[in-house]
Amino acid sequence: MIDDCLKVTSYFGERLRLGRRFYSDVLLDTFEEHDVSTSILLRATGGFGLRHRLRTDQTLTMSEDPSVMAIAVDTPARMNLVLPRLAELQPRGMVTVERARVIRDDVTASPAAYEHHVETQLTIYVGRGERTSRVPIHLALCDRLQQAGVSGASVLVGVDGTDHGERQRARFWDRNLDVPSMVLAVGPSDRMAGVLPELGSMLRRPMVTVERVRVCKRDGDLLAIPDRLPDVDDEGLGLWQKLMIYTSESHLHDGEPVHRALARRLRETSAAGVTALRGVWGFHGDHPAHGDRLTQVGRRVPVVTIVVDSPSRIAASFEVIDELTSEHGLVTSEMVPAMQYFQAGETSRGGFRLAHHRF
Amino acid sequence: MVSSAFLWVALALGAGCGSVMRFLLDGAVSRALPSALPVGTMAVNLTGCLALGIIDGAAVPRDVAFVFGTGVIGAYTTFSTWMFETQRLAEERQVARASQNVLLSILLGVAVGAAGLWIGGRL
Repeated sequence: MIDDCLKVTSYFGERLRLGRRFYSDVLLDTFEEHDVSTSILLRATGGFGLRHRLRTDQTLTMSEDPSVMAIAVDTPARMNLVLPRLAELQPRGMVTVERARVIRDDVTASPAAYEHHVETQLTIYVGRGERTSRVPIHLALCDRLQQAGVSGASVLVGVDGTDHGERQRARFWDRNLDVPSMVLAVGPSDRMAGVLPELGSMLRRPMVTVERVRVCKRDGDLLAIPDRLPDVDDEGLGLWQKLMIYTSESHLHDGEPVHRALARRLRETSAAGVTALRGVWGFHGDHPAHGDRLTQVGRRVPVVTIVVDSPSRIAASFEVIDELTSEHGLVTSEMVPAMQYFQAGETSRGGFRLAHHRF
Repeated sequence: MVSSAFLWVALALGAGCGSVMRFLLDGAVSRALPSALPVGTMAVNLTGCLALGIIDGAAVPRDVAFVFGTGVIGAYTTFSTWMFETQRLAEERQVARASQNVLLSILLGVAVGAAGLWIGGRL
């Protein structure tokens, strides 16, 4: 079953409170109350927002208040009920709304989801403990995706969320097998379409979103620059752009992990915000899939760095990204048709009406 | 002679203040000087060394040294964070910076401690 859907992503600091509760709890409760089919809360390893306040797990004190990111996916009808609620609640941070196609339950009818797309980002939502033929699902999915020749995939583990409308929250004394995690894969649309039915057969209850992306860089090669978009569409609604940089903890630039260098360098510019998420397993290109092992010092897990900004500023950010990914990493660009900033005591900027732009 | 119950309470309060001061200074320094080295923790440990040197050098009454040296500075400075952040640099393959973090902290720490003793002796 293929449907249009909206993907809403909220970025904020973990210690952000609403009244006496953490905002992340309030937000996920809201998703649960509205029966949002799929949602996931991810804790970031580093980043900064509009105020350029650095959040990083490099030092103990700075890791007290990491960036978090909550993603919710459902039909436009349902998300249009959630969004006004979110606009009332969110005290600080940023919310983006993106169009996507969702493939649920039956994945055999997938190819129509790829019309006109040259490259595709697939997001496969699975339970942390899900297995297929006794193999952890994320390992099996990455294996199959790599065999199919897609550009890369990273596995991110959530701490809270909803799965087919049911709340799944990680707890300390629990195996947390049903807590959501996600596999983010990028590659040529035809290959994605080819491999998707098989991926679907491995999943307990398939839930996959398909989005259009452009691969800008791979292993240091510049393949395309991010599409030059106007700052507003024909109706005057704001357009935004998102860059995602897939690297590994072992990718260094000038002796520093690329994702750390990205956050530090972009914070020196006027970039609106950066969020870096550490995954648990992944691959890109022909390089063998990698993750952490028990006996090691240097980490090998993938890291996904997300930059969202106005089209006029994204070009400057891309110059920095281009320089820091001169040897490693996969960089993608996509359009974000709506975004809103929330700042305490100030009127929020942007809005949730979706802009239209063909390119 | 100050009663020992009072001293224990003073020690606990001093340690509480020390840890809050560490949290605030570490955060302020780390945000002001974003560096690949954990400069916040280093700033905390070095200022702690200096303060402990001064307290020791000034030969203050034993109870005062107990509350300010053991309590405040003991909670203010942090060995565990220093080691934790060194390990984090190592797992990010920043071996040169991990070594710098250890060596610089030791060398500067001893120097600053000695300076504190010297200053304290002249108070």
